[in-house]
Amino acid sequence: MNRSIRRLFLVTTALFAALLAMLAYQQMINAGALAENPHNTRKVYEQMHIDRGLILASDNSELAKNRKVGGFYYRTYPQGDLAPQVIGYNDINYGQTGLEHSENDYLTGTADEVELTNFFDNLLGRPQTGANIKTTINPKVQRTALSGLQKIGKSGAVVVLDVHTGAVLAMVSNPTYDLNDLDADWVQLNKAQSAPLLNRATEGLYTPGSSFKLITTAAALETGGFTPDEKIDNGNGTLDVNGNVVHNWKDFPGDYSFSEAFSESINTVFAQIGLKLGQQKLEEYQQKFGLYQKPPIDLPPGEVDTSGRYVNGALAAPGSDMNQVQVAWMAIGQEDLQVTPLQMALIAQAIGNGGVMMKPYLVDQVLDRNSTVIKQTQPSEWMRSIRPETATTMTGMMVDVVNNGTGFGARSSRVQIAGKTGTAEVGGGKGPTAWFVGFAPADNPQVAVAVVVSNADESGHDSSPIAHDVLLSALGY
Amino acid sequence: MERRREAVNFIPVVLLTAVGFASVYAARSSQISAGSLGYGLLFLGIFVAVHAILRIAAPHADPYLMPITGLLAAMGIMMIYRIDPSLAAAQATWLLVGVGLFTAIIIFLRNYRKLDDYIYLLGIIGILLLVVTIVAGTDLNGSGVRLWLKIGGIVIQPGEFSKVLITIFLAGYLHTKRELLSTTTWRFAGVPMPPLKHLGPLLTVWGVSFGMLLLMNDLGPSLLLFGIFLGMVYAATGRVTYPAIGVVLITAAGTFAYFTKAIVHLRVDLWLNPWTDATNKGYQLAQSLFAIGDGGLFGTGLGKGYLLAPNGNPIIPALHTDFIFSAIAEELGLVGASGLIILFLLLSYRGFKIAVDADDGFSKLLAAGISIGFALQTFFIIGGVMKLIPLTGITLPFVSYGGSSIVSNFASLALLVLISNRTNSQRARTAREARLAAPATAAAGRPS
Repeated sequence: MNRSIRRLFLVTTALFAALLAMLAYQQMINAGALAENPHNTRKVYEQMHIDRGLILASDNSELAKNRKVGGFYYRTYPQGDLAPQVIGYNDINYGQTGLEHSENDYLTGTADEVELTNFFDNLLGRPQTGANIKTTINPKVQRTALSGLQKIGKSGAVVVLDVHTGAVLAMVSNPTYDLNDLDADWVQLNKAQSAPLLNRATEGLYTPGSSFKLITTAAALETGGFTPDEKIDNGNGTLDVNGNVVHNWKDFPGDYSFSEAFSESINTVFAQIGLKLGQQKLEEYQQKFGLYQKPPIDLPPGEVDTSGRYVNGALAAPGSDMNQVQVAWMAIGQEDLQVTPLQMALIAQAIGNGGVMMKPYLVDQVLDRNSTVIKQTQPSEWMRSIRPETATTMTGMMVDVVNNGTGFGARSSRVQIAGKTGTAEVGGGKGPTAWFVGFAPADNPQVAVAVVVSNADESGHDSSPIAHDVLLSALGY
Repeated sequence: MERRREAVNFIPVVLLTAVGFASVYAARSSQISAGSLGYGLLFLGIFVAVHAILRIAAPHADPYLMPITGLLAAMGIMMIYRIDPSLAAAQATWLLVGVGLFTAIIIFLRNYRKLDDYIYLLGIIGILLLVVTIVAGTDLNGSGVRLWLKIGGIVIQPGEFSKVLITIFLAGYLHTKRELLSTTTWRFAGVPMPPLKHLGPLLTVWGVSFGMLLLMNDLGPSLLLFGIFLGMVYAATGRVTYPAIGVVLITAAGTFAYFTKAIVHLRVDLWLNPWTDATNKGYQLAQSLFAIGDGGLFGTGLGKGYLLAPNGNPIIPALHTDFIFSAIAEELGLVGASGLIILFLLLSYRGFKIAVDADDGFSKLLAAGISIGFALQTFFIIGGVMKLIPLTGITLPFVSYGGSSIVSNFASLALLVLISNRTNSQRARTAREARLAAPATAAAGRPS
């Protein structure tokens, strides 16, 4: 019996070694991730005695401020329903999200730049104060975008970027909710099918549909030897790829120029182009436009999704096996492609900016309580997507989309808008996903936009009018 | 000799306990009164009393058992006191009851091997206690588990006592039947099997384990009982086939339970991913992990962790019972919590050593069974609260709040003390006899 008892002790030792290993893992290796987990409220609790910094909009109106109750500072949000998913919450029960989470070190005054002030505050026995955050959010544009979605009563998102800097002028996710009602409505907010807590602009993955033809077009112009006026034979208007038939939204028999095919969004032509370019080129240009990388925006990384091709719910690395049918579908933005509205806005921004994609940002300045600027965000390049001349060519084609093609809903008599629409079928008895991705003014791009509407009207034109209103608002009309 | 070593071992334990209570007091002096420091004195008193009792009643008992369990109990009550001083008072009372039962067993059950004659009676009582709980049990904390029995004003958890009684039964049964169970009379699917009729009582214990699981919705105690059962069968027969069959059976039952019992399904899903529902069903485990992670290497310090919400309630439900390890890991860090795990390893080491040293089958199996119980129970709950294994609600022996747990663990401990005392007394006697016999020969050989 002694032998088996000794073995039982060995087993016990192994079990306890596993306990020690797991304990060391949780306390030393995983501790950082646990501390950063948005559900972890202990940091929020510890920091409730800090006079937390304000969050300001670009016009200096307050987005988040404090209310002091019995030694604790609680947050209130004067424009609570305007951008709840972006501002985020700072809640003792539910943790932190959005800018309240990503800018927490500044807001609590624990970041290096504000440490010294706090040192003196502590010395003098004053309560610790956080730094203020001035965002790039323009409340007027934000409100225009939000009411655009609210008016049609559909779920969706809008992202508006400054073409030259990458500053986020508006980031809207509808349905919205009021940050001040978070505690009262928590259960309902969590249960709701419409997921109001989700930031659809950065976390919503949508099928790009025809808006993806921007990428296919860039690849065709730069590497496929295509020109906008080139005639392409569209046969009888359908395309058979190994027995799979590609259709169009209406009949397009005969020859079409590349530009016409773009403005009328002819799938069969683009499927042909895609097959000619091949998987590698298509994926190369997806990467040049920032897909397969998480956009470097100043939100918590967990609230920003990566765009690209998703297979079984996981991002498929470029170069994964694809057959001809899949390549043809990819060229027209189907085939398991999933993109965020932020990513599509960045694509429009890059085209408007002569091919240079900027790093998107929400925080313009960090200011101390005397309004002295502690930190100023300097716009910086994220990547070079396409050549300047390609950008110019594409701008012309995108103008055509608005003036003569599918993007008529965004047409304006006051400013020339350039863009590309997309109507992605999602199946399941739901309406399509409608896109408008573009910028304005076409001859001197200032503002880029991406609008997406879920379960849209069958015609797929829900997005263009919203893009129109938002661009005009951002340009000050 | 053993008692002098025990006295020396008690010194660091008393010092650690005193430092612990003093730091809780220092960190939370605004909330708690200095009178509470009396718990330190209480422990000193218990240590002295137990030591004195052992000096008289079991002078040769293992000198490490009491310092180890003493320190565990001290850490437990210190943490409970830090969470809620009023609970600490109740726990202190239970501790006194536990030590009382411990003393009674040491004095009145000196000849513990007599238990071997009553194993069937004890086993039946053990099972009856479970049946009573299944029939008349109440769900005290709304967890969906009916573990408790209300008798008058006192609430007890009969499962804790069943565990001890069934361990005694198994020790007695397996030690008489081990030869028979080791022989092969037939094969089942190629696996050599012992005579069927001797398997009956064992199948009963197996059935009881799963009956507990299915009827009481209770994962922890049923798995624990089954683990003790398998370990003891292996200890008795030395055949890996038994635990192997057991693992197959438990996997089958576990799979069945996963698909039919909501609570089992939930526990497994939460283990795989507590974050999907971290504010509701995964809340307890998520908060436990946050607390553990917050501890880091050295911990926040006693009384300084974020264990209580602004309204004074614990952040983690069941913090003082099942989740006390999370509280310890937060406030004492990796250093302190590893220390606690190592204390449990030492306890099971002493237990298994007592089993190996014992010279009769009943004592060996009883000591092994008790040690397996302590070890597995510790593994289940500590592994559960830090997401190593699915969470099964069970107490951390000697540390968690809970009268039944404390009292039954002290009863088990008393049995270990008695077994070691018997073995060591006999050895001492043999050595003394050898010494008495030796000088004659030595003198004869020495040149005069």
